[in-house]
Amino acid sequence: MYKYLVCGVFAFLLTLNIANSDIINKNVERVIDLSSQLVKISATITLENTGKNTESSFLVILEPNTLRNLSYISVKDSHKDELKVTPVKLEKYGDKDVFSVKLNQQLAAGRTAVVNLECIFTNTLVPYPSSITQKERQLVRYFGNHYFYSPYITTKQTTSVVANSRSIETYTKLKPVSQSDATITYGPYTDIKELQISPMTVHFESNAPFLTVTRLERLIEVSHWGNIAVQENIDILHTGAKLKGPFSRYDYQRDTSNNHHSIKSYKTILPAAAHSAYYRDSNGNISTSQVRVRKDWIELELRPRYPLFGGWRSSYTLGYSVPSYQYLYKTPAGQYVLRMRLIDNVFDDMHVVELETSIVLPVGVTNVKLNTPYQVERLSDSLTYKYLDTKGRPIIRLKKTNLVEQHIQDFEITYDWQPILLLHEPILLSIALYLLFLVVIVYVRLDFSLSKAEHVKTQ
Amino acid sequence: MVDVETMVRYVSPVNPAVFPHLTFVLLGIGIFFTAWFFVYEVTSTKPTRDIKKELLVSLVASIFSGFGILFLLLSVEIYV
Repeated sequence: MYKYLVCGVFAFLLTLNIANSDIINKNVERVIDLSSQLVKISATITLENTGKNTESSFLVILEPNTLRNLSYISVKDSHKDELKVTPVKLEKYGDKDVFSVKLNQQLAAGRTAVVNLECIFTNTLVPYPSSITQKERQLVRYFGNHYFYSPYITTKQTTSVVANSRSIETYTKLKPVSQSDATITYGPYTDIKELQISPMTVHFESNAPFLTVTRLERLIEVSHWGNIAVQENIDILHTGAKLKGPFSRYDYQRDTSNNHHSIKSYKTILPAAAHSAYYRDSNGNISTSQVRVRKDWIELELRPRYPLFGGWRSSYTLGYSVPSYQYLYKTPAGQYVLRMRLIDNVFDDMHVVELETSIVLPVGVTNVKLNTPYQVERLSDSLTYKYLDTKGRPIIRLKKTNLVEQHIQDFEITYDWQPILLLHEPILLSIALYLLFLVVIVYVRLDFSLSKAEHVKTQ
Repeated sequence: MVDVETMVRYVSPVNPAVFPHLTFVLLGIGIFFTAWFFVYEVTSTKPTRDIKKELLVSLVASIFSGFGILFLLLSVEIYV
C-alpha cells in the first residue's frame, strides 16, 4: 500500500517537473548573428498556455551536441528582467540538454507571455576551406537548424541569419527564403512539430577577427594605501582558416584594404580611471600601442609584434592601476567590500577559453567571503610575498572556462581588516634601520687594535 | 550582493597626491638625524660618548627614514 503511495507521489512530482505539452510557441522570431567569430542566437518567443493549468516554468532545449559550445544563455521576460535558468535532466527527453526557465509571472490558462532567449555559442563557425593562402579570402560555414528547436509545437516562426558580408557562397534553400545584402530570411514556417530538425548550412565570407584568448591570467592586487593594480597575462591564437604556404611581408604591406583575415591590431577597453598602463611580453616593452582617453573609458589599441594569421599565436602582458575608491567600499559594520570585474574586455566579441583570476588581498585579512555573479571554480587559496612582507598576503583564485563578453560582471569579496595594519610596513622599515644603528653603537665600543692607542698610553 | 548605497568608498588615509612631498620632508629629516648620528659617532671619544643621546638620535633617524622610505616606495607606485 505504502509502496503504491510513494510511487504515486513520485509520479506526481515527475509530472510537475516535466514540461507540459500544453504550452505552444505561438510565434518565434529568431535572429542568428554570424557577423563575428561567435554565433549569437536571440529568439523572441511568444508562449501560449493552451492547457487548463497555470504554468510557472517552461523548457528550453539545445540542439544535440551543442552544449559544449554554449558559452552563455539568458532568458529575459518582456520587462527585461532576467529569468532563472537551471539545467535539468528529464527522462522524457533522454540525454538532451534541457534548461528549465522559471517565469516571474505565472502563465495562466489561455494567456500568452513573451520571452527573449539569448544563446552564445563559440567554436561553431568552421573555416572552409580550412587553410588558405595569404591572398585568399576567408570563408566559414555555419551548421544549424531551419526550425527553432523546442519541446513545444511552434505555430509560426521566422529566422533571419546575419552573415558578416554580402558575399554568401551558398545557403540551404528551404522555402520560403530570401536574401538581401548580408541577411538571409527563412520562413515564415507554420505548424512545426516539437524537436524538429532540418539541417541548415550557410557558407559565407567572413573577415571578422577570429581571435581566441586561449588563457587569461588576471591578477588583482589590493593595497589599502589607495591603489588596485591589475595585471593580465594573455595568450591569443588566431582560430580562423590556417595560413597555407609562405608569408610575404611585401604583399602584406602592399595590401591596404582593411578586409583581411589576418589581425593587425585590436582594441582593449580599460576603466576610465586606469593609469600607468603597460603592454609588454617576454622580450620587453611592445611599443606599438596607443592609448586614447574617451569620456567613459580608456581605449587601448594594441598591435602585436607581428600580424596574426590562422594558427599563429602570441602572448603578452597588460597591466594598469586604478584608484581604490572606484572598487573598494567600507560597510558601516567595518568590513571591506571589493567589487570588481571578474574578467574585463580584451577585444570586442572576445572568446576566452580559460580564465584564472587571482585576487591578492592585503596583509592580515580575515573572514574572507566571496560572491560571484555566475558559477566559477574556486581553486585553493595560497599565499604570496610582496615587498616588505613578513606574513604573506592571501590569494583568492578563481577559474572558469569558455567565456564571452556577457561574462564581464562584478564579483564581490568581503573581508575584515584592521587599519592599524597599515603601519606594519613603515614600522618594519624603522626597526630594521634601528637595528643597523645599534650595530654601529656597539661597533664603536669595540676595540680591535693590537697595540694600545697613543693617547691611551699617555694618560 | 551587498547594497552599495549603504557603504562608503574607501580612500587612502593619506592622499596619494602628497606622497612625493611627504617623501621629501620625512626622508630629509631622517637623513639629517642619520648624519648627526654618524658625525657624533666618529667625533666623540670614549669619555665624551653619551649612550642616551646616541639611542635617541638613532631612534628619531630610523623612524623618520622608515616612513620616508615607505612614502618613497608609494610615490614610485610600489604599493606595498
